[in-house]
Amino acid sequence: MSAMDPTEVFRQEASELFEVLEGALLDLGQRPDDRELVDSAFRALHTIKGSGAMFGFDKVASFTHEFETAFDRVRKGEIKPTQELISVALAAKDYIRTLIEDPQSTDDIIGEAILDDLKRFVSADKPVAPVAETPPLSPAESKQVGWHLYLEFDSHILRNGSNPLDLLEDLCKLGPCFVVPVTDGIPFLDEMEPEDCYLKWDVKLHAACDKDAIDDVFMFVQDEMKLTLSPLAHVEAPAPAPLFQLLDEEPAPIAEMVVPMVEAVAAPVAEQAVAKAEPKSEAKPEPKSEAKREERGIATVRVQAERLDELMDRVGELVIAQARLSQLAASGSDLSIKMIAEEIERLASSLRDTTMGARMVPIGSLFGRFRRLVHDLSRDLSKPVDFVTTGEDTELDKTMIECLADPLVHLIRNAIDHGIEDTVTRAANGKTEQGRIELAAVHSGAQVLVTVKDNGGGLNTARIRAKAEEQGLIAAGAVLSDHEIHQFLFHPGFSTAQTISALSGRGVGMDVVKRTIENMRGSIDLSTRSGQGTTVTLRLPLTLAIIEGLLIRVGEGRYIIPLPAVEECVELTAEDERSRGRNFLNVRGNLVPFLRLRELMAASGAPDRHQKTIIISTGETRVGLVADQIIGNHQTVIKSLSKLHSDVTIFSGATILGDGTAALILDVAQLVSLAQSKVEKQHINEAA
Amino acid sequence: MNGNLAGEHQSGAMQVVMIGLGEEKFALDAGLVREIIDPVPVTKVAGARAFVPSVINVRGNVIPLADLRIRFGMPQLDNSADTRIVVIELEIDGEPVLVGVTADKVYEVTEISQADVQQTPRVGMHWKPEFIRFIAKWREEFVIVPNMERILN
Repeated sequence: MSAMDPTEVFRQEASELFEVLEGALLDLGQRPDDRELVDSAFRALHTIKGSGAMFGFDKVASFTHEFETAFDRVRKGEIKPTQELISVALAAKDYIRTLIEDPQSTDDIIGEAILDDLKRFVSADKPVAPVAETPPLSPAESKQVGWHLYLEFDSHILRNGSNPLDLLEDLCKLGPCFVVPVTDGIPFLDEMEPEDCYLKWDVKLHAACDKDAIDDVFMFVQDEMKLTLSPLAHVEAPAPAPLFQLLDEEPAPIAEMVVPMVEAVAAPVAEQAVAKAEPKSEAKPEPKSEAKREERGIATVRVQAERLDELMDRVGELVIAQARLSQLAASGSDLSIKMIAEEIERLASSLRDTTMGARMVPIGSLFGRFRRLVHDLSRDLSKPVDFVTTGEDTELDKTMIECLADPLVHLIRNAIDHGIEDTVTRAANGKTEQGRIELAAVHSGAQVLVTVKDNGGGLNTARIRAKAEEQGLIAAGAVLSDHEIHQFLFHPGFSTAQTISALSGRGVGMDVVKRTIENMRGSIDLSTRSGQGTTVTLRLPLTLAIIEGLLIRVGEGRYIIPLPAVEECVELTAEDERSRGRNFLNVRGNLVPFLRLRELMAASGAPDRHQKTIIISTGETRVGLVADQIIGNHQTVIKSLSKLHSDVTIFSGATILGDGTAALILDVAQLVSLAQSKVEKQHINEAA
Repeated sequence: MNGNLAGEHQSGAMQVVMIGLGEEKFALDAGLVREIIDPVPVTKVAGARAFVPSVINVRGNVIPLADLRIRFGMPQLDNSADTRIVVIELEIDGEPVLVGVTADKVYEVTEISQADVQQTPRVGMHWKPEFIRFIAKWREEFVIVPNMERILN
């Protein structure tokens, strides 16, 4: 149990709730009649309000309360959630978020303006009375029927940080209450579990409030209690003031004794419960609550991200140590050591898989964020857009998910701003008025493909070409494939947009996207069909920590090539060898440029007689790497190179081999561009 | 670094690891030194700057191996029975970085006192003055306290 800052816990929790709230609000825009959505938005709001108050975010609590009050009419079905209402609700959500994350940066006036808007939309006919502020009963109302409640909490309720007394107090705010604790569940002192709640309550509420208002009070704990609710048969004269009034029949001292005791227990437990992942269950719980607790067990445990990273590091070290052990065992003749080595190899590899699995999170959490982006952009640009996501449950390493957010924002913005045409153009081209953007994720071998697809106008290849010529990137009239022309989009500062909008057109973006993706050892592909849209495909490795690699030898040194980049291995023929000046390889009729790694690495010693060529590729460009020997597959635990070697670009990292020496990992993207620039230089030389 | 210096001056003494490079003796601030290990196989990094020509594996971490002899224009000797690698931790651009430093010999961990500190002479030095924090006297010999941050940046 670590001493986590409770405020930080609240912030984390709140940010998850905001995602739920935003998702629900956006869905509501499309399916205004879905009661489930209204309820889930309302629940999120209510929890934010409750925990906000608990952690001292009073402004958040009071603003959310107003928000909730206004939204309550939607929940009751009195008004329909219109697009305008949803927009205001989203703004209100953003305001609460700022209140929590950076209260200094905002002003009460903004909040008031949002509330005014909200109220205007919801109170078309009559003002809504806030539920929790029901005034004390007037004599005229006292004739109305009240409620009889029987409250039975799960015995572990205190451990979750709920305090039944607070709930009773809330209940008393609805009207005068007669509260009688039912003490028959209290065991003997030596059997008593101090963290359990043994009390039940019998409450007579003399107020003509809604059943909903009562449900509201117990909203947080409704899964952990039994609430028996029945209308009062007849009305006794309501008690005038006191909140807690004991009936005469009950001996007062017991109740008084019990109340402070529960309070004393509840307070520390409430604090602990925040950090506690799972309560220890020593008490004898009722069968029903045990079933509940089991459900909780399968649910999730919050783990700090750094701990997972540390775990991954340790597993990496273990894999390296295991490789050394296996090598040692293989060279000896002791059978029992060999058996142990094999056993450890099996354990290490399954531990590695499990650890990598623990770091995997579904990409859906990321996709959810973009719905708001699309919603806002489509409103600002008045381009109605249907946003479809698929493959939300595709899992990726959590660090990759974080790195992916910015590139995807760029791509989606581009798709709406440049891809989707305005409604007039679309109508003229016989398309539906509403554009469509698909965001999809799918596993493909050891890679994950994330695609952003729009059904807009497609890339204007001619214009990109003209721009590239204008900027002097290519000579006029040079022969280039469409694919090669599209690559100019990734050049820094390249933009074909005629006007610079607030969103895009400055030409910053695609190059950043490309760099980010390549830093993750991924690649980016563009495909487009004029008039039918553009698809951007990001190919990403499953994890950043361990990759499959091909181990090669160049002179004395050994290097790793990431296996996903390797297409095939061929022998360098005598004919290729002779053509020293050309550095081109004939692979089944295709000319492939190649790099001699011996030269690149300044290798010493005589080259092997039969040089091998490893063909690597990024997208459609293929390059051959000439090495002395191909050693084989290698599970590569990636270690980054230190700052002192940040000027070395042809290596993306290092790893540790079975014999304990370090080996460098080749940066495929860099090598490919190096080979291509060499080819271009050669062209220029030949032309000169 | 400055705070560090102040602390040393207050106590008047500075713990150092005395190493030999060629004919010269260098005193490395003991606070920087993490461990001293026997030579391990090195992996050459093609295209790296000459004074950090390779990387080594130290307890599962791949760290750069620096050669101070190149920075001070000294001849490189082959590894002998006395050769050691001193692993030090430095701050480079605000991040802690482990670096191995090849030493032809490691003498001892010792103290040099404030009184022995000599001003770095402006003339008569064939090394860049920025690489040297100060020169101290130790057992009738002049020893160099190098500025490792400057040397490795």
